Amino acid sequence: MSVSSPTSNHSTGVSDSGRWSTKRIAVYALFVALTIVLSFVEFPILPGVQWLKYDPSGIVALVAGFAYGPAAAAIVSVLGFVPHVFTDPWGAAMAILVSLALSLPAAFVYKAKRTRTGAVIGIVVGAVVAIAAAIVGNLIVSPFYFNMPVSAVVPMIVPILLPFNIIKMAIHGVITFLIYKPISNLLDKRA
Amino acid sequence: MTSPASAPLPDSTPAIRLRGVRFRYHDVASWALDGIDLTVRRGEYVCVVGANGSGKSTLALIMAGLTAPDDGTVELLGHRVFSGPSVAGIGASSAADGSALGAHPDAYRAARHHIGMVFQNPEDQIVTTVLADDVAFGPENLGMARTDIARHVDTALAAVDMADHAPDDPTRMSGGQQQRSAIAGMLAMDPELLILDEPTAMLDTAARADILRILDSLHTRGTTIVHITHSADEARRGGRIVTVADGRVTDDRPAGSMPDDNVSADSRPNMRGATAEASTDRIASPTDGGACVRSAPGTVPAIEVCHVSFAYSPDVPVLADLDLTVARGETVALIGRNGTGKSTLARMICALGKPQSGSVTVNGIDVAHAGKRERRELRRHVGYVMQHPERQLFADTVREDVAYGPRNQGLSADEVESRVDAALDLLGIAHLADRSPFDLSGGQQRLAAIAGVMACRPDILVMDEPTASLDAVASARIRELIRTLHARGVTIVLITHAREELSLADRVIDLSHRRPAPHTRAAATATAGPDSTPAVPSAGNGHGIGQRSSDVVSRMDPRVKMALTLVLMFSAFTIRSGWQLVAGAVLVGAAITVARINPLRLLGAVHPFLALFAVTGAVNVFFVHTGTPVWRFGSVTITDNGLWTMVIYVLRFALVILLGAVFLTRTTPTQMTDAFESLLSPLSRLGVHTHELSLVMSLALRFIPTLTDEAKAIADAQAARGGSIETGSPLQRAKAMSAIVVPVFAGTLRHADNLSRALDARCYEGGSGRTHYRAMAVAGRDVAAMLAAAAYLAALVVLAL
Repeated sequence: MSVSSPTSNHSTGVSDSGRWSTKRIAVYALFVALTIVLSFVEFPILPGVQWLKYDPSGIVALVAGFAYGPAAAAIVSVLGFVPHVFTDPWGAAMAILVSLALSLPAAFVYKAKRTRTGAVIGIVVGAVVAIAAAIVGNLIVSPFYFNMPVSAVVPMIVPILLPFNIIKMAIHGVITFLIYKPISNLLDKRA
Repeated sequence: MTSPASAPLPDSTPAIRLRGVRFRYHDVASWALDGIDLTVRRGEYVCVVGANGSGKSTLALIMAGLTAPDDGTVELLGHRVFSGPSVAGIGASSAADGSALGAHPDAYRAARHHIGMVFQNPEDQIVTTVLADDVAFGPENLGMARTDIARHVDTALAAVDMADHAPDDPTRMSGGQQQRSAIAGMLAMDPELLILDEPTAMLDTAARADILRILDSLHTRGTTIVHITHSADEARRGGRIVTVADGRVTDDRPAGSMPDDNVSADSRPNMRGATAEASTDRIASPTDGGACVRSAPGTVPAIEVCHVSFAYSPDVPVLADLDLTVARGETVALIGRNGTGKSTLARMICALGKPQSGSVTVNGIDVAHAGKRERRELRRHVGYVMQHPERQLFADTVREDVAYGPRNQGLSADEVESRVDAALDLLGIAHLADRSPFDLSGGQQRLAAIAGVMACRPDILVMDEPTASLDAVASARIRELIRTLHARGVTIVLITHAREELSLADRVIDLSHRRPAPHTRAAATATAGPDSTPAVPSAGNGHGIGQRSSDVVSRMDPRVKMALTLVLMFSAFTIRSGWQLVAGAVLVGAAITVARINPLRLLGAVHPFLALFAVTGAVNVFFVHTGTPVWRFGSVTITDNGLWTMVIYVLRFALVILLGAVFLTRTTPTQMTDAFESLLSPLSRLGVHTHELSLVMSLALRFIPTLTDEAKAIADAQAARGGSIETGSPLQRAKAMSAIVVPVFAGTLRHADNLSRALDARCYEGGSGRTHYRAMAVAGRDVAAMLAAAAYLAALVVLAL
């Protein structure tokens, strides 16, 4: 979102005085809205593990990070789950943590290497960090829901938490990879 | 809104003066505007007409000071805002010195504060979920004092007949009401010049008449008006008609002298009222089409609708006991005001929705009871052109996009190829096959999207307002398509507002003749004629949105309410004993009572968590082995301690959810973002853009319903082309998913563009210098709530000892 000279992008120069341009505010707002909408489209993906649900909202944070950089990824990740704080506070904290862990590393990698390969590496690195964050986060949060020591949660990691998070990140990654090219074309056209 | 005293100055400088204005988009070689010379005097009512893609919308943005051109000079309300590179020697009479070329931000800012702009899409101009707050957004940005803001908001709402709706949620209003709200948002800023870009394009006839009447009265009061339109009928209302074609002004004359034969095909008077006088004899209400009788075998009608009723919420029936039969090869036009269930019926015919009672039978298949295979079979025969079908485009090229449906039918590559070519030829867009659909003009995109439906070779076709907001040429092509398909024997259901499409139909059916109940949202919209402003029942009745708050919790200071809710929610996770649970239950019970919420309604909030409850309960029961065993099945032992833990953990989590639900039902999104902003504000010292973040949050909350509806519509349209995310290999499903996600992102970006212009038009320039319409103040009830919370927390601590 660099600002070039007013004549080349038809800017009137008025927006440059605000700290964020109206364009940036509008794009962030719509991405946050899309994250919120998609975060409610949740469904279980592991049979028998009904309380771990997949939702596609992480894709929006990934795309935001690719298109507008790490700051956008962070804003979309955090604000996108604020409404959930009032329905399930620890669940929201976990969702924010995982979304940040996925989209921030991906955005940083892609920022350094803006190619298709860079995008793939970014998604993979983000996915690994996110899976680790999800597992550590679950260890911390579980005692609030279950009266059992952390040592009792550990045995659930391999059969439940790990496969769930791997499937979740795989879906995020594949869809982001499929849609990013058409979306970046759209973004270029609007520049 | 300008008082006569300040409006046309005796020695008036023109409102707008453009000289040699040129503009082009960065990736396009040709000029969108190529040498525009145009002067608008103060107090004039000028209509600018032209086809889609003529450059008139770009011209509007330049006249509103929202976009700078590439070359030429722009003077707005006496401010020289832009001097292009080729100007240096020309127009030396102006105030600007030759040294400063390009855009002059200070001049732009000064001019803009007195220019209002209203856009085509009513929804994208709304910034928040309470109408009065929305209208106040502009005055706040101008830094008006609070009392002045209140006065301006009241006057502006009165001027558009929306005063009764001040506390309502504009995102849930009809398009006409939204557009009137958008005008009010501009009037509240006292504009001397108001520019409107096709403000009526998305409205039905009654709403359109309201807008035109409002413009007349504003003009009478001295506001300069520039109205961009593609309807010559609307253009005649102004004092002067400027015609734009290919980026140039091709005609400029007083409105009275517009010759009739110059009037383009789409500009004949639109239907006034619900029925066009000329075709009244052909308009039937649904029952006249023949009562619902089982047809004789062998003559199965294409579509048979029997006693169908449908309501989105119990008190707002959309369709009630509707009967309708469409014979094979027949073309039936469905007309009626917005909200009469036309689109709902269309979705049912395409097996995308089910009636709540009655039956819809298409090609002999009952859509409500069709299995997966029958639905797939049905979709091979039924084509669905949704409203604004261009919003479903997703592929890299037009060809790929059009091939999506045939490929989903599992046809061979050759067959797909020939279907695509035939469909492109049918729409006359074969030359666009290899272009990206996102590069095309709006009219071309519409034709490409329709080609995508045609390539599925439907023998029943449902079209939902296929020519809405298209220009004359593109509209004519779509009417030609309908004639061709009719001649080929395709059954067509055409939902329309346009009178010229009625002649295409064998039968015209007016669904508003079947208005089910007088007090629906749709009915209220329909009766909102020039002289009446009925109170629309606040949608989602009492759902905390736009309500006139009567309970204590709604009236609490949002900052206190939000902070207390969070503290109480997290503290509930520390509950470990029965007495603590009792204390929590008392507190939550008290909160529900003073919030005057029906406890049964809160069950809905708890429902999504039942699975989690079950797991929490089961895990706690099975993992706690201390205490006395109660049951023993083989190796599994359930103890009394285990059961007790289960009760505590499930119930304390229920308390958390109930606290959150009380907060969410009794706090408007606006209040939430206000609280969010002030709770974040300490972070601003660390350089965090807290004001901007909370504006982002507020706008995001406001766009949730918009994006949800759009995503659903796109998912429907792709499903109608056979895309399925429920069946097929993982990769097929991922591809079907991207055919939905890409257009959803495209829509998201489109809304973002529109929204950023709307923010500019409201003079939003960051948080500094803004004033606030609503004051937050801590009152007695807030102190009482804080004391109650403190007492409760103390009790939790004491009980834990």
